[in-house]
Amino acid sequence: MDEVKVGVFLSDCGKQLSEILDFNALTSYVKKVSGVVLVERSSEFWRGKGLQTIVDAVKDGKINRVVVAESLPKLSEVNIVQAVEKAGLNPYLVEVIDLKDHCAWPHRNTPKEATEKAKAMLLAAIERAKLLEPIEKLEFPVLKSALVIGGGIAGMQAAVDLADLGFKVNIVEKAPFLGGLAARAGRFFPTDDCAICIQSPVSDVKTITHTSRKCVYRSGFSKIPNLNILTNSNVVDVEGVPGNYKVTIEKKPRYVNELKCIRCDVCTPVCPVEVPDEYNAKLKTRKAIYMNVPNVHPPVYVIDGDACKFHDCAKCVEVCPTDAIELDQKSERTTLNVGSIIVATGFQEFDSSIIKEYHYSDYPDIITHLELARMIDGFGPTGGVIIKPSDCKPAKKIVMIQCVGSRDRRWNTYCSSICCMISLKHAMLIKTSHPNADVTICYIDIRTTGREHEYYYERAREMGIKFVKGRPTEVFRDPETNKLIVDVEDTLLKRFLELEADLVVLAPAMVPAESTRELAEILGLELDEDGFFKEYNSKLRPTETKLKGIYLCGGATFPKDAPTTSLHAHSAAIKAAKFLTTGKIVKDQRTAIINEEYCGDCEFCPVTCPYGAINLVPTTEGHFVAQISDLLCEGCGVCVGTCPLNAIELRHSRPNQMLAQMKALMSVNGTSKPLVLVICCSECGHTAVDSSGMAMMQYPANVRVMKVPCTGILQVHQFLEAFKAGAQGVMVVGCKSDGCHYEVGSQKAEKKVELARALLKEYGIEPERLEMFNMVFIEGDKFTEAAHLMTRRLEKLSPLQIMGGS
Amino acid sequence: MEYVKKEKTIALAFPSLVISRLGGKTITHCYQCGTCASSCPVARINPQFNPREIIKLSLLGEKEEVISSDAVWLCCSCYNCQERCPQKVEIADVIYALRNIAFEEQKSPNIYLEFASALMNNGRIVPISKFIEKKRPDYGLPPLQPTGIEALNKILSAIRFGTSLQKEEAK
Repeated sequence: MDEVKVGVFLSDCGKQLSEILDFNALTSYVKKVSGVVLVERSSEFWRGKGLQTIVDAVKDGKINRVVVAESLPKLSEVNIVQAVEKAGLNPYLVEVIDLKDHCAWPHRNTPKEATEKAKAMLLAAIERAKLLEPIEKLEFPVLKSALVIGGGIAGMQAAVDLADLGFKVNIVEKAPFLGGLAARAGRFFPTDDCAICIQSPVSDVKTITHTSRKCVYRSGFSKIPNLNILTNSNVVDVEGVPGNYKVTIEKKPRYVNELKCIRCDVCTPVCPVEVPDEYNAKLKTRKAIYMNVPNVHPPVYVIDGDACKFHDCAKCVEVCPTDAIELDQKSERTTLNVGSIIVATGFQEFDSSIIKEYHYSDYPDIITHLELARMIDGFGPTGGVIIKPSDCKPAKKIVMIQCVGSRDRRWNTYCSSICCMISLKHAMLIKTSHPNADVTICYIDIRTTGREHEYYYERAREMGIKFVKGRPTEVFRDPETNKLIVDVEDTLLKRFLELEADLVVLAPAMVPAESTRELAEILGLELDEDGFFKEYNSKLRPTETKLKGIYLCGGATFPKDAPTTSLHAHSAAIKAAKFLTTGKIVKDQRTAIINEEYCGDCEFCPVTCPYGAINLVPTTEGHFVAQISDLLCEGCGVCVGTCPLNAIELRHSRPNQMLAQMKALMSVNGTSKPLVLVICCSECGHTAVDSSGMAMMQYPANVRVMKVPCTGILQVHQFLEAFKAGAQGVMVVGCKSDGCHYEVGSQKAEKKVELARALLKEYGIEPERLEMFNMVFIEGDKFTEAAHLMTRRLEKLSPLQIMGGS
Repeated sequence: MEYVKKEKTIALAFPSLVISRLGGKTITHCYQCGTCASSCPVARINPQFNPREIIKLSLLGEKEEVISSDAVWLCCSCYNCQERCPQKVEIADVIYALRNIAFEEQKSPNIYLEFASALMNNGRIVPISKFIEKKRPDYGLPPLQPTGIEALNKILSAIRFGTSLQKEEAK
């Protein structure tokens, strides 16, 4: 490697800083540091003339390391780094520090001490710069195709978006027909129109106008170029990396050729098998060869393989005019290569029979809202008439019970958020078609938080729907009259009611779809405590996951109404499109690297890595070593902190770089107070220090700040090294433990600190010299308070003497 | 000024007291759905008693109203409410906690004091008359065994039952 030539550029921010810091002293100090060949001073270095000075020095080959002291480096660093890169130097050889917010302003009352601290800060930056190494840019290919898992409204909308943008899209639905839960729901709030319509795709076909929405069956969904629909199919395996996933799909036999079937309906009358129709809440029967409702998509019959006895019957084969029925179809597996995956598996109703006191599985006249929706639907089993399933007579008195299994600590603690609106919708639809029906809703709280939703509640009251504020304790059947009785306290009137009902409708909680857990395992995604897919960040990245290229939308993350589901689906589609569009991932190799000689095959790092970037691979010598994927690694360093054998290093934060920085920061004191080393994560921790400086909060100059990517990178021995380097106390400042930008870093650091404190005690060092603090950017006051606390605490202790210490 | 890591729980004094007592810690889960009241066999026949109301009043800090009234003593401990509560409030146990507080504050009805002193003196809540003892063989029942009153008193004094009782009786 070439000789290291450091150029130091000191910005005084137009006298703002030179009034506090003695820049002449700083310049002459820096000049004496070995390796420094150039020292410049200006009012600003991040643009204009100042920046040109740096660029020229780099271009002339005078320097090959750049140290800049600039105010607000988080804003200006990008400019400097980009300019330096243009000038021909690797951007990772630049070190930028903040003499204003980290030194001059917080110590403005003690200028001499501040100058001494500035010296230490500059020295640390120079020492680190000398050890920095260039970091290369890596490129990874991305296939311009996507897989959407789930053919409900979320999946369909996302698929249409991506296909319209020109990506090749595969949509996989496990049921024989598209539509998911929405298709069964019949109508949607808050528009009261049918559930099964989607946005109309951009299309050149003459008959498909681009109106606000379209029924799926006339939307030309199947005719969208680039869109491959796979119904009756499951995802069984996913391999590969972001941008290049290899997905294995198992297609169950439909026994009907999709291309030949003309849905003439001559097959169903001859089919001798009749089974309860689950799709229609078992309110009617269907044949073994069937379609859910006439307007399903794809418009092709399917044979229920479990129900059909085709071995000795095959009557449908005889009558089919197009020879579409193929009874010898088998399950087949296909593989798809896609760049991105969108998970839109949705939710389902909670099994109400678990709540014994509501007797859902005991009495036929107790049904759920999804079953009621089938009755209300004109295409449904009763043709829109509300009946008692027990005797098929019209139901006059209907009682609805809210929060069945939701807001319930025994089953699902969360509010399913859409059931109140579903009940209001159904109550009003019943009241509209059967004005004499007596509808009562028993509720705990009516939650109508969406746009136009409160209007629903208002209209329901106008229509004479009764509301009882109280959760029924039990539904029982009067043995004499056979009527259902709902036992409830009207808590507002403090009156006990026994509501007689022909039909009781439960509003069950909405829980994750059946195979969510299996799919999560296949994809390597996390679930939240309620069993839904966990998004990367619920506030800012609601459709992304920790895995690049895998996105979530719709009810897979939480129960959602149709408008929110659409919103979520479009958002996921745009994120996927953004990922796919350039055809490549460009990434700096700011990643972790394994020293295979030291790796002890212990499995700690693969388990700890929040991004699944580490795998154990066999070597030729018969044991395993960890291997890090540069594509998946985010460069947090949590693995570094976890490795018991120091076999992992982070390319941009090597232990020797950190040690040099520590030693330099502790080399000059200049105050009468004990030195405190603050190790901050580069996210919330470092910005909290920024914000205390920006607000000119004052803390003593003995407090010295060092930045690491994430506090998770820290190892126990590094705390000891800090004390050895001369620190009297060490503060670790990280993000909140549940708000770490790398998921687990803060928690790991907390444990590391705890362990180190126990060790310090063993060595006869007071454990209170080391403490971890968690804060966010806006908590600058918390940092100042902590800095004061640590200083006062150390002042009470006698100075630390360590053998070999400086 | 020491660095504060964990925030303190902010609650009214009376609910905090109930939370600190055995069986009382789930009281704050209550969202007043009324499942307990509609499950309660006592509430059906006695309008004075409504478990939902007792919990609401306690959460609002209405200490006097809760512990001075007879309501808390009417619970028949069938645990139906507790079985069905969707928020897992241990309602019957909360009521026990309230009874304990009422007893310590000398608010329990006299009949319970009689029971208590009977327990301390005889080891039994219900006094046994000579007549009953004579009748037992007629029904094929064995004669009553001694109650182990010394051991019982040891236990009761360990939980300072006697002192509370004396205070109560003095009133």
